[in-house]
Amino acid sequence: MILLQLKSLNKTFNNFCALSDIDFSVREGEIVGLVGPNGAGKTTLFNLICGRYRPSSGNILFKGIDITDLKPHTICHLGISRTFQSSRPFPRMSTLQNVLVGHIFGKGFSLHACPEDRQTAIELLEIVGIAHKADTPAGQLTLSEQRRLDLARALATRPKLLLLDEVAAGFSPVLVKQAIQLINRVRKRGVSLLIIDHFLNLSLKVADRLLALDHGEKIAEGPPHMVMRNRDVLQAYLGLRHQDEEDD
Amino acid sequence: MIYFAAKNRINGSKTCGVGLILGFLLLLTLPLLVHSNNYILQVFTHALLLASLALAWNLLGVSGSISLGHAAFFGVGAYGSALINLEFGLSTWLTIFLAGLIATGLGLIMGLICLRLRGAYFALATLAFVEIPKVITDNWDALTKGSLGLVGISGLPTLRMGDWHVDFGAGIADSYYFVFVYFVILLGLVAFVSRSNMGLALQAIREEEIAAEAVGIHVNRYRLLSLLMSAFFTGVCGACYAHLVRYIEPGLVYGLHFSAVPMIFAICGGRFTILGPAVAALILYPVDQFIFHPLLPAGHEFLYGAVLILTVLFIPYGFWGRLRNA
Repeated sequence: MILLQLKSLNKTFNNFCALSDIDFSVREGEIVGLVGPNGAGKTTLFNLICGRYRPSSGNILFKGIDITDLKPHTICHLGISRTFQSSRPFPRMSTLQNVLVGHIFGKGFSLHACPEDRQTAIELLEIVGIAHKADTPAGQLTLSEQRRLDLARALATRPKLLLLDEVAAGFSPVLVKQAIQLINRVRKRGVSLLIIDHFLNLSLKVADRLLALDHGEKIAEGPPHMVMRNRDVLQAYLGLRHQDEEDD
Repeated sequence: MIYFAAKNRINGSKTCGVGLILGFLLLLTLPLLVHSNNYILQVFTHALLLASLALAWNLLGVSGSISLGHAAFFGVGAYGSALINLEFGLSTWLTIFLAGLIATGLGLIMGLICLRLRGAYFALATLAFVEIPKVITDNWDALTKGSLGLVGISGLPTLRMGDWHVDFGAGIADSYYFVFVYFVILLGLVAFVSRSNMGLALQAIREEEIAAEAVGIHVNRYRLLSLLMSAFFTGVCGACYAHLVRYIEPGLVYGLHFSAVPMIFAICGGRFTILGPAVAALILYPVDQFIFHPLLPAGHEFLYGAVLILTVLFIPYGFWGRLRNA
């Protein structure tokens, strides 16, 4: 079943075309990697899906509902959650409180906190492996811990689709391995994932499919090994102009 | 920073707790202790009113917005209650409540105009916003008597329960208790809101607005709600002021004083704490009146400026925030 569908999506900023004519969909239970060089439009696409930006034209459907013009908080209530390229914790609130906020507001308004909320939040911190930092102000966590917190907070909103923006960028091989385990655990909870992965250190190992962007255009789509052999993708990443000339 | 000494937190809170209980008992029994010394009681009545004003200001302050325009709510509350009282002779209880509603209405207008702004731009817009009700009040002579001000405003109301009654306007000790009770009620309410989920939402918005909306918080709704609540209680403070002093004029109740002073108390005490703004008001205003006013009758308010600068430089999260965690 199709969970997320993008229909000829366009976004321009002051005559600069950030995304043009993107058609794409994510099926339920799928992990899709979003790859492409700097400035390809990956984060812009996230911001469109989450409602931070409005597309210049085109539609976004989630579970068959048109969410193109909805506000970020409503889109979250419907079941799309995200992490940020540079994580955005609530720095002076405790790590546990950060996750509680996601849990309490993720599905709309609830007036009173109940004790189970706290338990759920602690479980999520255990899943991402920072439960021992529950009482530490989030601003004092290390970069890797803040990314985990971002993930726990996003999961706390009980999403059906989770968008991860550069979740493993700059990670050591050990941390990448942990991130892969974490993503597989998230998938087992019945969450579909769309992962921005500029450095390709994650999506080649976990993704079912890749979507490759360059200069705001879709250049390839399909299973990871196919996409990585695609000429346009290699050219976008490595710049194979020289080889092109030889071919011609 | 403020969490630097987190492990000593328990000792810090204990000291603060004892201090708070002593302070509360002192305020409760003050009229008996000072044998109704008018001057001392008058200063503390105003200190409690300013503490309430600081608490009301901080209902918006916790969401991270700094308002320089609360005199608009204070002034419209003072004029609203006084005029309804003078023109229609309604019960002062009712007029004080209506004053709060009028201020809330003004808060709605301010919210629709200014809440799309953030940080310094929001602060400047609110500063300019005060001029609207001020100019109207100043020039609508037929209704407000313009810059002449209003005199003969009735005193604080009387509470009746069967045969038993207290006239809060009778003497300074009675007025003191009226303001004291309002202060305690407001404090309870602020504590309740801060600890509710709404308080959590406001904190999250203050800390990182983009993440807050991404986890499902309706940012504009909560910011508007906190502004409306803040406006209501600031309007009630203005009404209390009008019936306490019984003379108001536009330059006074819409003056920068009533915008700046609650902000200074809140920042100095700690914007992100519940009690900080009130504690700061209850310490700084009496210090200003008892020590600096006799020394420097003309320039005593330099104290507030100096305290604000020192706080921002050395304890940016306010002394109450620091004490509680130290």
